[in-house]
Amino acid sequence: MSATAIRDLRVPGDRTPGHAWPWRGLLLPLALVVLWQVWGMVSGNVRTPLPTRVLAAAGALIASGDLFSGITQSLGRVFAGFAVASLIAIPLGLAMGASRAVERNVDPLVESFRPIAAIAILPLAILWLGTGTAAAVMIVAYAAFFPIVINTIAGAKRVDPTLLRAAATMGLGKLKTLRTVVVPAALPAIGVGLRIGMGVAWTAIVAAELAVGAKAGGGATGGIGQMMFVYYAYSIELNRIVVCMIAVGLVALALDRLIRLGMRLLMPWLPR
Amino acid sequence: MTGAKMRDRHAPDPLSAHPVKLRLDGVGKRFDTGAAATVAVSDFTLDVRQGEFLVIVGPSGCGKTTVLNVLAGLEQPTTGSVTIDGRSIRGPGPDRGVMFQDYALFPWHTVWGNVEFGLRHGPAGEGLDATARQKRVRSYVDLVGLGGAETKYPHQLSGGMRQRVALARLMANEPEVLLMDEPLAALDAQTRLILQDELLRIWGQDRPATERRTVVFITHAIDEAVFLADRVAVMTTHPGRLKAVIDVELPRPRGDATRALPQFPSLCQHIWSLIRDEAYRATVT
Repeated sequence: MSATAIRDLRVPGDRTPGHAWPWRGLLLPLALVVLWQVWGMVSGNVRTPLPTRVLAAAGALIASGDLFSGITQSLGRVFAGFAVASLIAIPLGLAMGASRAVERNVDPLVESFRPIAAIAILPLAILWLGTGTAAAVMIVAYAAFFPIVINTIAGAKRVDPTLLRAAATMGLGKLKTLRTVVVPAALPAIGVGLRIGMGVAWTAIVAAELAVGAKAGGGATGGIGQMMFVYYAYSIELNRIVVCMIAVGLVALALDRLIRLGMRLLMPWLPR
Repeated sequence: MTGAKMRDRHAPDPLSAHPVKLRLDGVGKRFDTGAAATVAVSDFTLDVRQGEFLVIVGPSGCGKTTVLNVLAGLEQPTTGSVTIDGRSIRGPGPDRGVMFQDYALFPWHTVWGNVEFGLRHGPAGEGLDATARQKRVRSYVDLVGLGGAETKYPHQLSGGMRQRVALARLMANEPEVLLMDEPLAALDAQTRLILQDELLRIWGQDRPATERRTVVFITHAIDEAVFLADRVAVMTTHPGRLKAVIDVELPRPRGDATRALPQFPSLCQHIWSLIRDEAYRATVT
C-alpha cells in the first residue's frame, strides 16, 4: 500500500526514466553480493558465509529436500496462525472501530499485550498447548494479531461519517450499516493489516518453532524456523542459516504479492 | 400554449389547500462547543405542505443545514417540535430521503449499486423482488441520464454525474419527502442550469400538484431558489432565524422562459434586499 502510494506521487506524464529497464531493481543487490564476496574472501575465515558457499549450501538443502519440506511445514503453521489471527482480529477490530464502548473496554488489554514479544509468550504457549504445532500456531497467531487488529480499528474508524448518515436516512439499522458500509469502507485498511500481519507471522516463525521441540542433528521435521535454530545452536552451519533466511524472504515476498493481488480483485473500485 | 393549458388544469389547486406534511414549531438548536454555546437556529416556525417545493435561502452560517438535519432526524432540536404528518420526528427514516452536499456516494459501489443501495439494504426495497428492483433502478438511472454509465465507480465520474447518481439514489427509494442540502452547489454554472430544469422534471412539475413529492431544498443561490420554489424561506444569521417566506407565483411548468419573465429578477431583487445587509456584514467583518 505505502510503496504504491509513494510511486503515485509521480506526476502523470512524468517522463523521467524510472521503469525503463525492468531488472534495474536488481542492480544494487547484485553489487552488494559482489562486495560481500570480495570482503569475505579478504577478511573472513573458513566459516564466514560467502555468496559462493551459501549457493553451495542452498544446492545441498534443495537436493536433500530439507529446504522444501521445512518451508511447507512452516507454511502450514504460518497459514494456520494467520487464519486464527484474522478470524479474531478482523471482527474484533471492526467492533472496536465501530463502537466506542467496545473500544474503551478492549483497547487497554490489546495495547498492554502489544509490546510483549511473541517469543516472550513461548513458555505460556508450551505450558498450555504442549510442545508441538499447536503451540507454534498460537505464537504465530499472537504475533500476527496486533497489526491486523490495529489496522482494522483504524479502517473502521475512518469511515466517512456522511456515508453512515446516508445509510441511516435510508433506514438501515446498525448491524446492516456495519455490514454494508463499515466493512467495505474499512477493507483497504484491513488489507494493509493482513499484509503486515503476514510479514510478522514469518518473523515469529523462528520463535514459534522453538516450541516444536528442538531436534539436534538437522533434518527438517521442525520447519524452517526450527532448521535455523538447529543450524545456529547445534551444528553451527551459518551458510545454511543464510539459505533459510533468503528462502523465508522469498516466500514472504510471494505471499505479500498474493495478498495484494487478492485485495485488488476484492476492491475493484480503488483507482488503478 | 400547452403550458397555459396545464396551468389552467392545475390552477384550482392552491398549495394552501394541501395537508401539512412537515411542521417546524418554535425549533431552536444550540450547540455546546466547549465553553461557549452557539445558537445555530432560534424559534423557527414553518409548515411545508404536501407536494410543495420549499427552498430555504440565507447567507452562510444561517443554520440552513441545521434545519434540514432536524427534518432528516439527524439532529434533535434543543427546543420546539418537528413533525411529519403530525408524528414527531425522532430520528432518520426512509420516509425522508436526504441528498447530501457532498453527495455521499459509496465509493465501492458502481453507479448501479449506489442507486440500488437503499432498495437492496433498506426498507424502501421491501416487497420488491429482484426483477421489480432492477426495473426501478433502471428507470431512475435512465431518468437522470446515466444510461451507459451503470458500471462506473464514483471516482470515475464528473461532479455533475455524481450529483445525478445521488439524485437517482434519492428518487429510487421513492421517499415521501426529499431533503436536499445545496445539491447543485459544487457544479459549474451551465451544468447547474441544466440540472435545475431536470430536477423540476423529475420532481414532477408536469403532474398535478397532488402527485408531487414534498421537497425542502437548501441553496445560497437566490436565482436558483426563485426558479425552483413554490415558496422561498429566507433565513438570517446569528442566530439563524426565519426572516420571511416569499410566495413564488411563477407559472409551472418552468423552464428557460421562466428566467426571462419580468417578475423573475424583481423576485430575486426582493429576496436579496432581505439578506443583503447581513451578507455584507458577514463578508466585511
